[in-house]
Amino acid sequence: MNINLTLRILGALLLFLAIALLFPVPFSWFYGDGASGAFILAAIISAGCGGILFSQFNSEKDLSVREGFAIVTFGWTFFALFGALPFVFSGAIPSYLNAFFETMSGFTTTGSTILTDIEAMPPSLLLWRSLTQWLGGMGIIVLSLAILPMLGVGGMQLFKAEVPGPTTDRLKPRIQDTAKLLWGVYVLLTCVEILLLMAGGMSFFDGLNHAFTTMATGGFSTRNASVAAYNSAYIDWVITIFMFLAGVNFSLHYLALRGKIGDFIRNEEFLFYSSLVIVGTALITMLNIGGTYPGFLDNLRYSAFQVVSIITTTGFGTADYELWPVLCQYLLVFFMFIGGCAGSTGGGMKVARILLLFKHAQVQVYRLIHPRAVRLVKLGDRPVDKDVMQSILGFFALYLGVFVAASFVMAATGMDLNSAGGSVIATLSNIGPGLGSVGPVDNFAHVPAIGKLVLAFCMLLGRLELFTVLVLVFPSFWRK
Amino acid sequence: MNILIVGAGQVGYFLCERLSLEGHEVTLVDRDQEHLNEAQDRLNVLGVLGNGASAETMEQAGIKEADIVMAVTDLDEVNILVCLLAREYGVGKRIARVKSIDYLSRGAVLSKDKLGIDLMINPDDAVADELANLAGRAGTFDVAEFVGGQIQFLGYRITEDSPLCDLTLKELGEIRGIYRFVVVAITRQGQTIIPRGDDTIQVGDSIFIFAHKEELPAIQYMLQIKEEKRRGPRKAFILGGGRIGLRVARNLEARQFNVRLVERDLERCEKLSAQLQKTMVIHAEGTDIRALLDEGIADADVVIAATDNDETNILCSLLCKRHGAHRTLCLVNRPEFLDLAPSLGVDACVSPRLSAASAILKFARRGNVISLATIEGSNSEVLEIEIKSTSQVLDTPLKDLSFPRGAIIGAIVHQNSYEIPDGESSLKVGDRVLVFALPEALAKVERFFE
Repeated sequence: MNINLTLRILGALLLFLAIALLFPVPFSWFYGDGASGAFILAAIISAGCGGILFSQFNSEKDLSVREGFAIVTFGWTFFALFGALPFVFSGAIPSYLNAFFETMSGFTTTGSTILTDIEAMPPSLLLWRSLTQWLGGMGIIVLSLAILPMLGVGGMQLFKAEVPGPTTDRLKPRIQDTAKLLWGVYVLLTCVEILLLMAGGMSFFDGLNHAFTTMATGGFSTRNASVAAYNSAYIDWVITIFMFLAGVNFSLHYLALRGKIGDFIRNEEFLFYSSLVIVGTALITMLNIGGTYPGFLDNLRYSAFQVVSIITTTGFGTADYELWPVLCQYLLVFFMFIGGCAGSTGGGMKVARILLLFKHAQVQVYRLIHPRAVRLVKLGDRPVDKDVMQSILGFFALYLGVFVAASFVMAATGMDLNSAGGSVIATLSNIGPGLGSVGPVDNFAHVPAIGKLVLAFCMLLGRLELFTVLVLVFPSFWRK
Repeated sequence: MNILIVGAGQVGYFLCERLSLEGHEVTLVDRDQEHLNEAQDRLNVLGVLGNGASAETMEQAGIKEADIVMAVTDLDEVNILVCLLAREYGVGKRIARVKSIDYLSRGAVLSKDKLGIDLMINPDDAVADELANLAGRAGTFDVAEFVGGQIQFLGYRITEDSPLCDLTLKELGEIRGIYRFVVVAITRQGQTIIPRGDDTIQVGDSIFIFAHKEELPAIQYMLQIKEEKRRGPRKAFILGGGRIGLRVARNLEARQFNVRLVERDLERCEKLSAQLQKTMVIHAEGTDIRALLDEGIADADVVIAATDNDETNILCSLLCKRHGAHRTLCLVNRPEFLDLAPSLGVDACVSPRLSAASAILKFARRGNVISLATIEGSNSEVLEIEIKSTSQVLDTPLKDLSFPRGAIIGAIVHQNSYEIPDGESSLKVGDRVLVFALPEALAKVERFFE
């Protein structure tokens, strides 16, 4: 471990956070909500700490794999720790633990909230919540790679540690260029969504916030009732479509913008993801017939919105799915585990991993029937590397392990069965709302302190896909 | 003609043999003295030692006077260089053996023309396609297509239960009724003859016929070759996952066969599995009959032995046949083994050299031969000839022309129709004529149609 270099880069990341912290300040002046001081103070503290780390530590050596893991994990933790400051300084969220939970939920694009009355918050702080999600969605490190030239060498280590999915696409030979392209697509899609939302009657402020949190598959809203507050079919459908797009591998979006739209159809993961969404929507629409919603179109609209919101791990609500038939809820829980595509902003285990797990199981059965047959797991036409397959199996086991362990802790704090499991999967898969007492119309304010810490850790584990964080727990990681 | 052949491998040797027998002046270039000696001792050719890609060697071999250059070494790059050199020396026809798909594919950046190559052939691919063709047609052991696939040239083996047994051709002509086809040749104990009306078809013979593709089902019925009626796709086993095995597997996959590919090297198995979609790749030795039985070789419709070892292929074929496989096709490199097929009970032997040589010979021939096929185990050939306006045989009934001995016209294809010729038939400009010819008659046949 090269501690000096790690600290120096962490310092750089904090300097970068300080700049981000200044972004809501003009909004604060515009709305006169009096929170500008809190942002400026937080920025100064962040910049101070960052500056000290950056200037005091230096190293001639290059980044290795280990530093990559440490920088990404601690970077995200620091962002949540320092990003929580404005909430505390402005007095909007007096408890630092709550503010930390809220910020971690933001950066990891989870969307779980401890706020009971969102509309009472100063607008600039609401914007900061949404901004944390937007920054966390495509990845803080990826953004830093695009902007900070000093991260160039060894950048691939950081990139791999942060970008979700079993394998990482490289669009350009230089990692910085790849990062720039991904962020470019992200910004473009966000801008388009802002315009479309404003066309549906949203104010610029609401449009900006919702576009930020849709594209990040985060799910923070500026309204207590989430997207349901607008009660507009147009807005529901626009957000449904953009959530769906945000759950797709951004490399595919880039290729589509370059005119290679055929790549969508050739991509097996995308096809599987689409069919999951379509089948899920059809099933839930059918199950809801005659019950929850009177008209077919309304039924379809609410069902599609909720299916896409859950599978992409966004977590916006237009309906309380806990009132739906049990089978619908069961399907949604299944989708909570799956999550978005690799290389998207969605969380969960990722469609590619689930798809490959099924294929792997299929090959195992096949090999029992034909012991001498040689058959490889393939994605599209290309065989999947054995190492990748093994890491997926490991990932699956760890994911379930973490889920079970964290659920135990939550149950130990006195939560009921539904809520304990629901809160863990909601945070581990970065969805937001869970089940039971943390369901779509509830919040996390009542969770005990120890529970909030565990859930915040789950968010981090989920966003960085377990390995990056868990590798730091092993003592051998720290030895020379 | 003055022919320069680079590469004294199996293809090169075979070409030398055929072309020198036809009376051409053949020079052979190779880097291996032993190979050269072998060819010089046995064949009527001149050997030159050296690298074919070097201008010095090629000048020594007389490239300046050559009419045709055939580059058939094992290395694509050498063959391409030879053709580039030959173009600079102004050689008229340049033929290269090329394996890599990078050069062969239609969209290749370095196209045939840019590389100075008139004909690119790939023996492995040619033989793989032939094997797949044979596998797709039950009962036949030799298939060639002419006039864009309209006319088929087919070889059948006569077994004891064949309805044609002990029939004379005259009798056959009476029972065949409305079906139009003609038996142009019979191979018996390694001898190929052109039969007359009173010749008898015997057990163990191989007969060769010409027929229009529309009449094939009726002919198959008459020969009592029934396509197995079974539910689901036909089952094919391929032994040996080399380049040929892979291509055959792809080809059969496309024909809706249920393909099982047996390969003994595990790493190669994985590569094959990555490249094939539906084929089951089995990691086993071709002679490991237990493993093959487990995977159902007993009810296989066809087994194709395509390893790179002749002996293994023949033995595996016999073993599979013994255990119930319906048909076995066998890849054989050495021409000596080709004749063995009928007596051993292998349904067909196919040689990469024959396939390649047939393609090269077709191209090398001057004049009006359009297409050509060589026949298993003999030097006979089938020629597809286009009748030019300068021909001396126009509009005269065939019986009034002195058609060369040792050759027979199998079919005449006019603009929109075709006929199985008799003495009254006559030829018109633009007709395509299919001729079966024994080796000694080849030259005469070509002259006849000029």
